[in-house]
Amino acid sequence: MKTKYILILAILAFMASCKPDIDEFEPSSGNADFTSYVAVGNSLTAGYADGALYKSGQEYGWANLLAQQLKKVGMQGEFKIPYMPDDNGVGFRGTHPVTKLILGYSTDCLGNTSLGPVLADPGADPSVLMANLMKSVADQGPFNNIGVPGIKVGHLLFPGLGNPALGPGNFNPYYTRFALHPATDVLIDEAEKVDPTFFSLWIGNNDVLGYATSGGVEDSITNPLLFEGLFKAVVAKLTSLTSKGVVANIPTITAIPFLNTVPYNPIPLTDSLAGLLNDGYLIYNQMMEALGKDYRIEWHEGMNPMVIEDKYMDLPAGFEQFKFRQIKEGELVTLTVPQDSIKCARWGTVKPIPDKYVLTETEIAKVDEAITTYNAIIKQVAEDNDLAYVDMAAALEKAKDGIVIDGVEFNTKYITGNIFSTDGVHLTPQGNAFVANLFIDAINKKYGSKIPKVVVSEYPTIQFPD
Amino acid sequence: MKRIYYFLMLLAIFGTSNIYAGGYQVRLQGNKQNGFGLIGTPLNNGAGSIFYNPGALSFVDNKINVDVGASFIMSNVAYRSLDGDYTAESDNPLGTPFYLYTSYKISDLISVGVAAYTPYGSSLVWDKDWAGKFLIQDISLEAIYIQPTISFNIDDVFGVGVGFVYSFGGANINKAINLSNNSSVNLEGKASGIGFNVGLFFKATDELKFGVDYRSKINMKLDDGNVTFNIPGSLEPILGGKDHTFDTELPLPGNLDFGVSYQMNDKLMLAFELDWVMWSTYKQLDFTFDNDEESPLNSSNPREYKDTFTPRLGIEYKLLDNLTVRGGYYYDPTPTNEKYFTPETVSLNSNAFTLGLTWSPLEFMDIDISYLQTMGKQSEKTYEPANFSGLYKTVAYVPGFGLSFKF
Repeated sequence: MKTKYILILAILAFMASCKPDIDEFEPSSGNADFTSYVAVGNSLTAGYADGALYKSGQEYGWANLLAQQLKKVGMQGEFKIPYMPDDNGVGFRGTHPVTKLILGYSTDCLGNTSLGPVLADPGADPSVLMANLMKSVADQGPFNNIGVPGIKVGHLLFPGLGNPALGPGNFNPYYTRFALHPATDVLIDEAEKVDPTFFSLWIGNNDVLGYATSGGVEDSITNPLLFEGLFKAVVAKLTSLTSKGVVANIPTITAIPFLNTVPYNPIPLTDSLAGLLNDGYLIYNQMMEALGKDYRIEWHEGMNPMVIEDKYMDLPAGFEQFKFRQIKEGELVTLTVPQDSIKCARWGTVKPIPDKYVLTETEIAKVDEAITTYNAIIKQVAEDNDLAYVDMAAALEKAKDGIVIDGVEFNTKYITGNIFSTDGVHLTPQGNAFVANLFIDAINKKYGSKIPKVVVSEYPTIQFPD
Repeated sequence: MKRIYYFLMLLAIFGTSNIYAGGYQVRLQGNKQNGFGLIGTPLNNGAGSIFYNPGALSFVDNKINVDVGASFIMSNVAYRSLDGDYTAESDNPLGTPFYLYTSYKISDLISVGVAAYTPYGSSLVWDKDWAGKFLIQDISLEAIYIQPTISFNIDDVFGVGVGFVYSFGGANINKAINLSNNSSVNLEGKASGIGFNVGLFFKATDELKFGVDYRSKINMKLDDGNVTFNIPGSLEPILGGKDHTFDTELPLPGNLDFGVSYQMNDKLMLAFELDWVMWSTYKQLDFTFDNDEESPLNSSNPREYKDTFTPRLGIEYKLLDNLTVRGGYYYDPTPTNEKYFTPETVSLNSNAFTLGLTWSPLEFMDIDISYLQTMGKQSEKTYEPANFSGLYKTVAYVPGFGLSFKF
């Protein structure tokens, strides 16, 4: 009897001690050296999201996610980020500082309440926000993440990028806050301060984005020749610090939700209203016919395309005031178009939608052409300098049709697509994890390293209100 | 009276089991067989034949047989992400499949019996926030079979038996959903189904015995289960409210088992069995919400299982007049599909070893003790619809205890 109990005890002890031990992942740095990593870029690198730079957004930025993984393959010390003081953050509408966006309820001009992006703190005092943003954190540097929202490639080389003396709109306060000498410092010189052994460079989006997001009104597209010179200068500077790094190209901007959420035909009309509008546009249509032009504005019962301004319309001199037409399917309307003006102030029917809210086919072609040219340059420079290369454009193109990772469904739809945050341009934490893995794939491929990937499903998506 | 009360307690408390091999099948249906590589088809050593081979029931010696027992499954599943260092381990509750068999020999020709047992079940608990949370957070499936049986003994050479099976049970599933953060859905409901169990037993000589048993597939139909979405208020109108109903069906596959046993001498018996489990019936798991074929919540989830063949070896040795020891081995291949391996049913190709003993302190009573250990081979698996891959490894330790009464 006694032996039986001993046997049972032995079995129980054995069982308690044994758990399935799975083979461990063996990280390795391959032939790269990740001791000190510097991330160079724009808002995407900075961790800007939901229309603002804010603390947890910076933490969830792909550069920080990548850095945390690089710690497992030799990165030393902390990946220093010029953190914002809080989670409401600061973004801009024009030159007006605002907090980040969250999903919330708002009531439109017709009295209908709906869910959409609203300011996290609509009553925030702009001067307080500006003071928060401008409060220098330079003494906490040098920083490993030197991504600065809003910058174009040329800004990396531009002395005084953060110089407040240039006046609102002419300097970049996101650099001011972490520059030691804002009046004179050059952003790219920040890289040297952390003695990088590895860099990432993702730049160029704003060289077209500003144009694209303002409907082709504000901000010009950087000339490709100039872009090439500037981009090469930036890479030359970085490769003089370390020969190992990764560059990413520019995703198709016309695929982002900012330009793909408001439909081209949001105007519902009854038969009688359509008749009234057709009467109103009779003269326009007759005039266009007389001019031998194909432009027609026609209304029917149901959903109708909007009337938009289009400065590229082919009309003889003296007819500039008639440069408006009905938008075509495939032309893009910005997320920022005032919906109340469409619903209640007859925008899109009686008053043409202002140019700045629409990307016409001519403008789309310009944007696409610029990105194609830039991406050819980026790829060539990456090859010439033997750097890892992330084809972000191809990845986003794939995401358009929907991709699934760890049960997370990604697509380019606004809010439900999980990649883009509430501003329709920048990334959600899950989107950042997706992007971090693209960087990891590219680095592993180039340098034979084994950087562990991040688990996409561990990161948050957009939060809905209760 | 007290004894009956105790049996009822068993029925009420026990009944959930874990998976670790062979899909969600759990063959721990008798502690004599458990120690013997789970071989039972070519044996006539107790009322457990109701499950293993109704044909052998009429070859069980005594007038009245009662077998009761349970197993205690301690299982672990380990997961590691394929291209990373993320690891997770399931924290499974103790699984307790049980059995209760009673048989009565009406005459030399006819025996009858009735049994309650739990041949299918699963209970797997991952961390709420683990990497695969959008596939499964936790799942518990249970099925209790009730089987009245009749068995005929033809000239003490052939045995033919058949049982009708009524199965009842339920499911409870939690999974996270990627609409807003910390959102999840709970699915819970009761299911039932019917089937049969038919067996042939052939006693070629006193030493050499053959058995064939077919247990039919049972479709467990779950109607009007409860769905509860745990979501922020603003999502409720989008999903049509927090509460819904659902219907689904889960097949419990048919089995065709062949076994042979050979009594080498007074003390030593060897046995071999091959079990064909017809898992290919499990094509997909479909959920229909709110009795609406068009509901956007409906889902069809591919599983595409394949049939498995499990070979088993058993050896038994009569140490003393009242003490028998046994051991066994079997190889349990996974029925899962390479492309559709979900962490809700972590079934890997497994090697299993068993040990057991029967001690008969009284003329009319056996104490059956068994121990089983199964080790799922580390494997790389993917569930393609969710693009969820990883390395999995499993282990389970299963002590079991039973009593047999014969009068």
